Amino acid sequence: MKKARFASAVAAATLCIAVAGSAIGSAHAEDLKIGALFPLSGPNSAYGDIFASGANLAAQHVNADNMLGGRLTIEYEDSQALPQPAVVGMTKLIEVSQVPYVLSAFTGVSKAISTLAQRSETVAVNGGGVGPDLAKLGPYFWNVIPLANLEVRAMVPYLADQGLKKVALVYVDDPLGQSILDELKATLPDVGGELVDAMSVPTNTQNFSGIAAKVRSAGADVVYIASYGAQQVQIAKQLRDNGVEAQFASYSGFSVPEAMKLPEADGLLFTTQAVDYTSSDPVTKRFVTDYEASHHRMPSAYVANYYNAVRLFALLAHALEEKGEPVTGANLLAQRKATKSFDLVGGTVSFQDNGTLLAPIQVNRVEKGAPVALTTVSIQ
Amino acid sequence: MLWLQLTFTGLQVGALYALTAAGFSLIFGATRVFHFAHGAAFVLAAYVFYWAETSGLGMVAGIVLAALAAMAFGVAMDRLVYAPIQRHEGSFFTVFVASFGIGIAVQNVLGMVFGRSFVTISTGLSRSVKLMDGVYVSPLAWIAVACAGLFFVALLLFLNRTHVGMALRALADSPELIRAYGLDPRRLSSIAFALGSLLVVPSAVITALGSGLNPTLGHHVMLISLAATIVGGIGSIGGALVAGFILGLAENLALVVFESQWTEAVTFAILFLVILLRPAGLFGRHATR
Repeated sequence: MKKARFASAVAAATLCIAVAGSAIGSAHAEDLKIGALFPLSGPNSAYGDIFASGANLAAQHVNADNMLGGRLTIEYEDSQALPQPAVVGMTKLIEVSQVPYVLSAFTGVSKAISTLAQRSETVAVNGGGVGPDLAKLGPYFWNVIPLANLEVRAMVPYLADQGLKKVALVYVDDPLGQSILDELKATLPDVGGELVDAMSVPTNTQNFSGIAAKVRSAGADVVYIASYGAQQVQIAKQLRDNGVEAQFASYSGFSVPEAMKLPEADGLLFTTQAVDYTSSDPVTKRFVTDYEASHHRMPSAYVANYYNAVRLFALLAHALEEKGEPVTGANLLAQRKATKSFDLVGGTVSFQDNGTLLAPIQVNRVEKGAPVALTTVSIQ
Repeated sequence: MLWLQLTFTGLQVGALYALTAAGFSLIFGATRVFHFAHGAAFVLAAYVFYWAETSGLGMVAGIVLAALAAMAFGVAMDRLVYAPIQRHEGSFFTVFVASFGIGIAVQNVLGMVFGRSFVTISTGLSRSVKLMDGVYVSPLAWIAVACAGLFFVALLLFLNRTHVGMALRALADSPELIRAYGLDPRRLSSIAFALGSLLVVPSAVITALGSGLNPTLGHHVMLISLAATIVGGIGSIGGALVAGFILGLAENLALVVFESQWTEAVTFAILFLVILLRPAGLFGRHATR
């Protein structure tokens, strides 16, 4: 009888241990979810589709490689590229979905959500906005894209070398446009250039024939277009239609297919971060091969950025899981600071202390609807 | 020469504003329905034209199809949305919210069908030609001004010389009187919607050819139409037309003095001044107390 009791107790204990063990095991194998605040509707939704294509491909690769204990999924919220809907979306991602990591885009949106990110210790990663202020949004806000001040610093000397020194700026009236104005004012005198006129336009303006008249009367060699989405395309088309013959220049916001395929954009110069898509490193090679296979075109810098943002999360979360630590925003931040470099698309990179990646900048020209790289500039 | 260039540009923009505002004013003046989806009729017509043009059907077929689509949309809104609400004695705001909702729905459907990005039609008509030193005008500018003049004269003749036109003018004041004369107010209301929606077509086609399209364009069109209707005087087609030109010119000539970001503010400053000094609008009838 005693023997039978003892056997029952051992069996019960074994069962308890087995159940507890499987529970612990399943805790490690928990699915992980991250958030994304992209414009999925409105005039900037074309960007949302491009950003999501990079993020989704990275999640697909992470899951195929079993990099994490469970499956990685991305929950998308529509920011419309506007601060107010973005804050609503961020609140939902933090409070309801309780994600530790959120992909962000656009300068105004990123600035709006950054306080929520700090307060809730949620990491927000920007791969699309380029306003220089984004480097100052606290430890929980990271940038996997070089910011606009670096892009202007690369473009201005290139223009000067081509003898294009008189610049007129048409800029959107938001933090991005303002930062490009400030940077042009600061850098043009260094190369003997001059900002001959600066015209700000509200984000919702769609008619630029009057602006074209002012641009023509300014007598500029170059018109720098600092806007995004549908508006930047309308600016380029309407300026050309209204007799503006000066060289066009812009920043990485122009590196979307809908902007480059515009006939009036032919010859436009624009900067992006330099990514060597022909690199033989396995991460870049796999990214380019799989993206081309599924989308039938070469990836842009934006696609690479959001691929990198998701891959960065997977690398950090993998390291935390190996140490048995929970995947929280605070732990992700600590792990990023403890890791010197990361193998991402474009090579091995490291973060600056302010949470921003430093990458070389490339000057491109639009030729027959596609970008052609002209030169690469290393910025310090 | 900048002010002369901006005057030409202002006339082109003003002609487009005038046509859309005249359409809204006709509908609101005759039916007292705040047809917020007027902007949606504009975008729908523009995208139908874009579709016809890019499908190789040609410009004439595109204009005809755009006109049919805009008129069908206006009549459908009247018959299928506003009439049922009014039958159940829905308030002004119920009608407004329904119209607003349909406007958003149309915007999203167009986004799904044609994509949400910016689309253009490549044409030599939008390319400006040098008139003199510093002054460039595109053929589309002349077409816009000519269309505004032509449609305005045709509309005035219709409203003043035909029975249906006169009945439309009477509809807003007394639907009962219309019935007493053996006319059907519901049919007249549909005619007002068809004509008002037709008036957006030249503007929609010229916008598609000149500045390109995206599905969100309707909001701005609606905002300007509303401002021009109030400035011109509610119910006054001529007033809406004149106000459209005033707003287009003001928006562009403001660039001589102000930063470009203030041009829209100039439009609404004019609106504010008119409301303050002439609450009935420039050509509106003063209400008797």
